[in-house]
Amino acid sequence: MVELDVEDASRVDEMCERLLANPLVEDYEVSIIE
Amino acid sequence: VKFGVLRFPGSCDEVDALNACSRYGDAELLWHHDRHLHDVDAIVVPGGFSYGDYLRPGAIARFSPVMESVAEFARDGGPVLGICNGFQVLCEAHMLPGALIRNRSLQFQGERVWVRVEHDETAFTHAYDRDQLLHLHGREAARVGNLSGVLAIRLEVLEIRLRRHVEDHDVAALFGLAGNLGLDSPRQRFFERAEIALLIRDVGQLLLGADVIPEHIFWRRDTGALGQVVDQRRQELGLGRRLLHKCREVRIVGDHRRGRGFARLCSCNG
Repeated sequence: MVELDVEDASRVDEMCERLLANPLVEDYEVSIIE
Repeated sequence: VKFGVLRFPGSCDEVDALNACSRYGDAELLWHHDRHLHDVDAIVVPGGFSYGDYLRPGAIARFSPVMESVAEFARDGGPVLGICNGFQVLCEAHMLPGALIRNRSLQFQGERVWVRVEHDETAFTHAYDRDQLLHLHGREAARVGNLSGVLAIRLEVLEIRLRRHVEDHDVAALFGLAGNLGLDSPRQRFFERAEIALLIRDVGQLLLGADVIPEHIFWRRDTGALGQVVDQRRQELGLGRRLLHKCREVRIVGDHRRGRGFARLCSCNG
């Protein structure tokens, strides 16, 4: 699990696709905690 | 020929690679933060634990400034060889297809395996004969059908090792071939790729990822001063005790001479 404190949550998917996960071999799920 | 060997924070095989390359030409280290390739003719992306394998092996290294230059170098036809972690870096950088995943055992494995040359028309394998069996008692792991333009050198292993290999060790993953296998899930597809140890994007290209580490053949010949230098460097890099243990385990290695096909397979993630 990776916990991030971000101002713009809309960028989280992009962050996952580019770096945090490798979508070729990994699934990821984003939970937003206000 | 002038070789450039990349060095990332956490690399640990760059000295071995540098030493190996220097047997055949000039060689120099290229720091990951330097975009300038110093007019090298070929590039080696060495093994190790770039950026501590944080997130995934190669995931951070792909964003290093030097990788932009390496990608451009490869696009222009320059030869690039990624070994071990270097293989993972090239996959993460999308210069090679696919991704490497953890061994099923979730443990480091280092063992002797046999390789068979599937294609002898590449720059990396032209010195070998096609279908040259490197061990007569070997047996193929699960065969992949149509490789769709992606070339691979398959592993040949002794039968007893084959069982262990298939059960415990996914050597490399190759994405995009699922249609040929008729398997259901992406993960199953990867598991069927256990026999692929070296991967090259296309016959005409000069981009190779290898999960065997031929540069270590020089290590044993250079016991003494070089070994001490490498040990010292590893300690300077602050690698943990466990990591050092891993590094020492992977030394070695067999006989890389033509027609004598030992290769040492060492992998944490592939």
